[in-house]
Amino acid sequence: MTDAAGGGSGAFQRPVARMWAWLLVPRDIAALVAFRVALGLLITVSAVRFLAYGWVGALFVQPRFRFTYWGVGWVPVLPGPWMPTLFVVLGVLGALLMIGLFYRATVVLLFTVFAYVQLFDVTNYLNHYYLVSLLLALMCFVPAHRAFSVDAWRRPALRRDWLPAWCTVLLRFQVAVVYVFAGLAKVTTDWLVHAQPLNIWLAARTGLPWVGPLLEQRWVAYAAAWGGMLFDSTIVLFLLWRRTRPFAYVVVLGFHAVTFVLFPIGMFPFIMVTAALVFFDPSWPRALAARVRLLPAAVRPSVAGEGAPPAAPGWKGRMALGAALAYAFLQVALPLRTHAYGGNVLWHEQGMRFSWRVMTREKNGSATFMVRDSVTGRQWHVPPSQYLTRLQEREMAVQPDLILQLAHRIARDFETATHHPMEVRADARVSLNGRMSEPLVDPSVDLAKEEDGLGPKAWILPAPEGPPVHLRPTRGGGPGA
Amino acid sequence: MTVFKARPEAPSWLGVRALGFIAVLCVACSDGKPKPVDPPPGAGADVRARLLSAAGECILGTARDFLPRAAALQAATAALRDAPDAAAQAAARTAFHEAMDVWQVMEAMQVGPAAPRGSPGGAEIRDNIHSFPLYNRCSLEEQIVSKGYESASFPSSLVTRRGFLALEYLLFYEGAETACGPNSAIVAQGTWAALSVDERAARKRAYAAVVGADVHVRARALVDAWAPEGGNFLKTLAMAGSGNKVFPTAQVALNAMSDALFYVEREGKDQKLARPLALRDCASDICPELLESQFAGRSKQNLHLNLVGFRRIMDGCGPDFTGTGFDDVLAAAGAEGVATRMRQQVVEAESALAAVEEEDLRQALARDKASVMTVYNGFKGITDLLKTDFITTLDLEPPAGLEGDND
Repeated sequence: MTDAAGGGSGAFQRPVARMWAWLLVPRDIAALVAFRVALGLLITVSAVRFLAYGWVGALFVQPRFRFTYWGVGWVPVLPGPWMPTLFVVLGVLGALLMIGLFYRATVVLLFTVFAYVQLFDVTNYLNHYYLVSLLLALMCFVPAHRAFSVDAWRRPALRRDWLPAWCTVLLRFQVAVVYVFAGLAKVTTDWLVHAQPLNIWLAARTGLPWVGPLLEQRWVAYAAAWGGMLFDSTIVLFLLWRRTRPFAYVVVLGFHAVTFVLFPIGMFPFIMVTAALVFFDPSWPRALAARVRLLPAAVRPSVAGEGAPPAAPGWKGRMALGAALAYAFLQVALPLRTHAYGGNVLWHEQGMRFSWRVMTREKNGSATFMVRDSVTGRQWHVPPSQYLTRLQEREMAVQPDLILQLAHRIARDFETATHHPMEVRADARVSLNGRMSEPLVDPSVDLAKEEDGLGPKAWILPAPEGPPVHLRPTRGGGPGA
Repeated sequence: MTVFKARPEAPSWLGVRALGFIAVLCVACSDGKPKPVDPPPGAGADVRARLLSAAGECILGTARDFLPRAAALQAATAALRDAPDAAAQAAARTAFHEAMDVWQVMEAMQVGPAAPRGSPGGAEIRDNIHSFPLYNRCSLEEQIVSKGYESASFPSSLVTRRGFLALEYLLFYEGAETACGPNSAIVAQGTWAALSVDERAARKRAYAAVVGADVHVRARALVDAWAPEGGNFLKTLAMAGSGNKVFPTAQVALNAMSDALFYVEREGKDQKLARPLALRDCASDICPELLESQFAGRSKQNLHLNLVGFRRIMDGCGPDFTGTGFDDVLAAAGAEGVATRMRQQVVEAESALAAVEEEDLRQALARDKASVMTVYNGFKGITDLLKTDFITTLDLEPPAGLEGDND
């Protein structure tokens, strides 16, 4: 193993060798197959939902303006009428992933199409679909089609009952990152001391059957806030520990069932419940099948010696490890980057995306763009509704970089029409977690002259100070509720 | 082999550590201030349900107010068609004003049957009665030439050919020229010019009578849809919650009502004020031709009545806006500050309107544009609050049906 370790002293070689052994030890493929099937199913169901509910039209066809992610504005736009076709493709690819047909091509194509859909418009960003994109990216490297798949059935040479442990490690790491950062994001005064925004959300749901009366109690919002933070930040530990794992998974099921009932978060609970399966023993599907008498007992395949780690992983192995470490570093650095900006990320949103701040804010804004002709001095007011759909407007009004993007577009349109340079200012007021609305961006700054980028944006005004509103429950959601 | 091998023993140290962690965090996060006191049990009970019920009664009541005025409008336009004289014309115009005044109150109450088809329970009745800002004078004049209003399919024709905007043109506009361009058939073929003054006037009266009758039919449909003896949408709104197909939760119903309140932004601020003020879609210094009431000169009055309708839902439908409104929900939730600011903002907008000395915004735009700008700012103050504090506090208006995990 000396070569693989990259040389060096014996004291260094031993842990490196142990790490290689740990990463390459053969593990039952069954859990990864189950994950592959579940992920494919989720993607197919998601695609069908988007088509059935008309969301493809609402999110991808109707908008006349598209907000792009910084640095990837070059992504080509598929003409609107093709978007439903793309979702049909997604649904089919999800089904192919599920049954394990043309796995390599399927998963690469699936990642590409899914990521493209996510990149289409920033206002569609959802943490859980970002997670699915990442899981698909990782699955491109995990040969989860070597068992229980059409591919393995068609090509016996592919068949294998085990996969190296790194396949599971990668997925576990990814899911752990989501939970841990989602938990850390809740360690804020708003969340823990004021139980906001949960207080707002729960107070609006007191009309729900059965649980509604409970939600009237203020302590419930606090319990939910603290419980949510503790759940997110510790659940990975309990899932990793074999003795607590089954109980932790029951808690996972309960937690996500509650969030599914209370909040309009669509596929998120299902995705997380599926994702958490990666923490189970690699043979759990066989054990489950045996328990329900689908398979005979003691079905765990013998993997001893079958997939013994190579004595000396070559340069490819070292490159792969380097890439994995770089990916892991990026996954940790992305959520932490907001600390470089200072201030309240929920307000200025710098470093908000890709940081797993799931359900941490209730934020609404009102933005009007003031356009001034630099030559004639004439002024116009442009309501965002002139460019955006209702959903886009709602998202744009609270996210400064999107305000900047629209300001640039407005400036360009007016300059094209008048052939004069334009100044564009934004009157944007935002309410965060029930605080009285305050200006979000400096109304004296000409946004047409500001450039987007990774640096801090000086034209974003400081977050309002003081506590958010303390809502009381208003009891009852209607006689029929 | 089994995954669930053995029941793990509860590690006692874990519970102790968790409790200790919580205790430390509690101490660390405590701000030392007295905690807000919860209201006594029963305070604010079912205030959302009371709002839904009260708003339904308010909408039905306003629709019922409108119905006899629509009937009077139908009668007056029919009388004008049958016996055209100055008195009949004046009566028809008065009937138009009286009906329009009530309708403008209804504008901020587009919930259920009056709302667009995409809304819960929406049946588009509003657009069939008053299609503003959709308006096309040329298509009205084409109808006059073709006598399209006599067609049996006229009630299902484009809304821009029917409703108050058509009536206003037909009853109030006396000019001879057409708004159609040279490419229009009635100009290119000379059929508009070929109509005599008397024939054109007669056709306008006949057209107005048809539209007046159509408005009355729609007004009756609206009342029928809401009334307990009819479609009983009143009950549908009041009984929002589990089992209700239109409003499966009270929150969906409240969202529908807050959507209706956004009339003051979409049509009020952005259409009736921003465009005539040349803040958008206008190449000149002012664009009075983009005001709502082009021929009857009621644009100022209409805005005032829109605010009346807004306040009936926001503050209450009783005399002086007493009764249950959104302000009661806000107050019951502990957000009295939002309710107070909203009320102040509406009063400011009303004061700004009252401060416009001219009878109509057309004259005000020409003589004192700044006064109209103050009205615009007043409306913007309302909509800024609506879109921020109001929506946030009551957790309203997530785009219908879409999932999210970022807020």
